[in-house]
Amino acid sequence: MTQTTQATGHPAPEQLNAFIDGELSSNEAHEVQQHLTDCHPCALRVLSATQLKAATARASQRFAAPPEALARLTAQLRPQEPKKTARIYTFRPFAWAALAASLVVAISLLGWRQVHQTNALSAELLDQHLATLSSGAAPEVLSTDRHTVKPWFQGKLPFSFNLPDVYPADTTLKGGNLTYLNGQPAALLLFTIHKHEVSVFLTPRAGSPTITTLPGIRSGFAIDHATTQDLRIIAVSDVNPADLDRLVSALVQAQ
Amino acid sequence: MSFAPGATFEQLALPLLPSLYSHAFWLSRNHAEAEDLVQETISKALRAFDSFQAGTNFKAWIFRILRNTFLTSRTGIAASRTVFLEDHPDLLDSTDTNPTPEDHLIRLDNQAAVNEALDQLQPPLREVLLLCDVEDLKYKDIALVLDVPIGTVMSRISRARRTLHQLLQTQLGDPL
Repeated sequence: MTQTTQATGHPAPEQLNAFIDGELSSNEAHEVQQHLTDCHPCALRVLSATQLKAATARASQRFAAPPEALARLTAQLRPQEPKKTARIYTFRPFAWAALAASLVVAISLLGWRQVHQTNALSAELLDQHLATLSSGAAPEVLSTDRHTVKPWFQGKLPFSFNLPDVYPADTTLKGGNLTYLNGQPAALLLFTIHKHEVSVFLTPRAGSPTITTLPGIRSGFAIDHATTQDLRIIAVSDVNPADLDRLVSALVQAQ
Repeated sequence: MSFAPGATFEQLALPLLPSLYSHAFWLSRNHAEAEDLVQETISKALRAFDSFQAGTNFKAWIFRILRNTFLTSRTGIAASRTVFLEDHPDLLDSTDTNPTPEDHLIRLDNQAAVNEALDQLQPPLREVLLLCDVEDLKYKDIALVLDVPIGTVMSRISRARRTLHQLLQTQLGDPL
């Protein structure tokens, strides 16, 4: 972490900030301290940044939670008072029936949630695909060159991926965008296959929701889905599913 | 921050409610939405509590859930359409064009000015600053919350403070 700006001999801004935030090892902190005793400009920088840090901390106070909201949230956290065993025996038959009914509801809700999650994801995929088509806006990175598209994502995504050297026939990379899928940052790659637009979403596999079955076709769009060791790859398009599958396979092989 | 190994979810989460709410408000800028976000965060965190590793930072863990919850919300998705470009490392030093030492001191008795400058800050820069200065999270925990390398945390904090400083200077005019 010890890096000084060589031209000036002063600690780098990051290092001064780390010093203020108490993130330096004792040796590094000592070095900075030594420098500050001799260097008036750096000492002023640190003083100013320390004041700014304190002012930022004060600024947060204006967004304190209203007491009612806090009370509701606290109530949500508190577990239900455990029922005394004795009380259970006083349950009337209708109470048992109600309990059984709510169990049935709870179980079917669980099943519904699973289906719902899958549907929500495919709806989200389709929405994003259609939004890309209808906006007519150029992708953030507009290039057919994998050596341009891939580096563009660097630093924007917490994962990396490879692009194939060769694509299936009449398949062209158009560019890429940064997007979010299910709250995960995702790379969105845009392709065309025989003039059909294709959106390919790449997300890290670890953080992805456990969705095992995506419908193959939704509203006439094909959704293809594959996983590699680290990635989840999902492709959406109105091209025929066999062509889409060839592109997904090419992407899987490149990883 | 370490916790007793047997701490319950409630014991860990209760003291963090005000922080979670305040941070949710910063993200969403709306009271109703902030409360919804925290509510959803709590139920998600409760369900995932088994996967929380005792001895690691619970605050960072639950703030990460809050952030991901926000990103899937309507406001969060809208906000994510703006791509945030990380500073090119080479730009970091060159912007500091040898100001006089006194240029670094600005009047900070004016809290309203600081609030306004914070509002003007790009959301990703404001977010990293709040996690550091308000929530007192260590860099490694901020990296966990934001899901970025620690080097990115450092350069963002540096950039955030520099930008905040510049905004305040513009607002307040003369240095001391």
